[in-house]
Amino acid sequence: MTQKPAAFVAVILGCAVVLALAPLVLPPFYVRVGQLMLYSAGLAVAWTILGGFAGYASFGHAAFIGVGAFAAGLAEERLAGLPPALLLPIGMLVGGLACAILSAVVAYPILRLRGTFFAIAMLGVCHVCAELNNNIDALQGSLGLNFPAVAPAAWDPAVFFYELYLAAGVVVFLIAWQIQRSRFGAGLLSIREDEDTARMLGVPTERYKRIAFVASAVLTGLLGVIYAHSLGYITTDSVYRDDTNLSLIVYSLLGGMGTLFGPVIGAFTLVFITQVVLARLLDFHLFATGLLLVLLVLAAPGGVLGFVKSWRQRRRAAATAPAE
Amino acid sequence: MNLVVQTLADGLVLGGIYALAAVGFSLIFGVLHVINLSHGILVLLGAYLALILSTSLRIDPLLTMPAVMAVLFVVGYAYQRLLIQRAVDRSPLGSMLLTFGVALMLQNTMIWVFSPDMKSITPGYALASFKLGAISFDAVRVSCLLASLVMLCCLAALLKFSALGRVIRATAQQTLAARLCGVNVRHVYALTFAVSAAFAGASGIVIGIILPFSPADEGTWTLNAFVVVVLGGVGSPAGALIGGLLLGMVSTLTAQYIGPSFPNVTMFLLLVLLLLVRPQGLLGNAFAPSR
Repeated sequence: MTQKPAAFVAVILGCAVVLALAPLVLPPFYVRVGQLMLYSAGLAVAWTILGGFAGYASFGHAAFIGVGAFAAGLAEERLAGLPPALLLPIGMLVGGLACAILSAVVAYPILRLRGTFFAIAMLGVCHVCAELNNNIDALQGSLGLNFPAVAPAAWDPAVFFYELYLAAGVVVFLIAWQIQRSRFGAGLLSIREDEDTARMLGVPTERYKRIAFVASAVLTGLLGVIYAHSLGYITTDSVYRDDTNLSLIVYSLLGGMGTLFGPVIGAFTLVFITQVVLARLLDFHLFATGLLLVLLVLAAPGGVLGFVKSWRQRRRAAATAPAE
Repeated sequence: MNLVVQTLADGLVLGGIYALAAVGFSLIFGVLHVINLSHGILVLLGAYLALILSTSLRIDPLLTMPAVMAVLFVVGYAYQRLLIQRAVDRSPLGSMLLTFGVALMLQNTMIWVFSPDMKSITPGYALASFKLGAISFDAVRVSCLLASLVMLCCLAALLKFSALGRVIRATAQQTLAARLCGVNVRHVYALTFAVSAAFAGASGIVIGIILPFSPADEGTWTLNAFVVVVLGGVGSPAGALIGGLLLGMVSTLTAQYIGPSFPNVTMFLLLVLLLLVRPQGLLGNAFAPSR
């Protein structure tokens, strides 16, 4: 697939067009589920730039959703007079910028940590951001922020945000794809496999990690800005969510860690399971998520894609064995 | 001046309890290299068991400690053999997510069984207090601190002098070498986990006496344990004690002088700072994988 980039892009855009037309036939409930699927898939791919490609699994990416959303919201509140069509791009600019600054600053100390230490330190970053956001009055975290209605009057807001998530998701996906097939992506892969060796062989590991971290954070922040607009009103608790922190890891784990399609498959599957299959069993949600995690780790540590790959290898091995 | 000393004394008491709550986590981390995200659940399990036992038998909650520890010892052994052992030698993320999954399931189960409401254990001497100079101490808190310190000393002695302790330390230092010397590593892993779970249960009793608790608290206790271990160093009761006392002091001082809603901020800033300048913790052995 990677040999023919034009064909790859065409296939992705084709899928996007099909998905874009889906709201015409889907009932409203499924448009909402679709929104959530696309949003989660976008986040999962943004997460995987750092967590999957470079192997730095972050447990605190909700920090960037929150910072992006609040930065955008506060900026839009000051500019309330402008037409709504302008507000969303301004919000995304401000939110993205805030995430870029935060991640660039945090990257210096945090990226020195590895493995679980990095994961938990990121959780710390998320909690610190949430707590500061909640307790500093000027940031209105506990009071809550209202977002202007940005959907054009002719559109159903649910469909509008569905298409917005889709567009954002495709952009994030293509960026991640470009990163993966570039020299930079190969560098990230070498960091994941063996950071010390990569460094010894002249890969600028520190710089690569930092760029991947900032890219991942900014894309997450932009999705957070859209998310805040689709909610219309946010408080600290609605954006700095620990279940988001967890889900981002689970999406990649479910689909296949370190792959490009894995997070997308994982996000679609998990959102479908929790929103549609388990929709009536709210009391059972925690238990089901936990059970799924346990089964995943025990039965399919490589995720769906890893499972398919090993199954194919076994079949090929079985096909060649009798020839001896 | 009094306020400073009073704050420090409160921090000391709280720190002793943090230390006991974290020591099991530290042991598992040091020996199995597993981040046990279900640690907080084990702590709460101890608290709920103590609550049930002490109200049904009408005895002092601290006296339920042997029974609670015995139950959690068995639970811990089974949990490790049946589940964690299967993920223990894979990626660290795998075992971490496994324990997280178990934590979610058990938290959900606890909500069904014990209701999501806040509970607390109230011993007969709940309201007694005494003064030492100008500083006042609650009888409850002091007895809990003493219980914590005694338990920590017991664990330290167990690790240092008993045959089991020697085997556990050997496995932690060089798993392969221990195996070559005839140590049944799986059994030791499971025993370590069982001991850790028993101590988590014991700390649950102490916590239940001092603070109200609910199933949603498990994350807090897991995180606290993690911070204590990173601060103090992995795998030793002394490290847990130092880390716990430090954390207790920092959180009471922050709550007193900066604002009651900021302990988490200072706690994590301290954590990140320490990870950067001294990744092995204040007392720990060099712990290579941290950076």
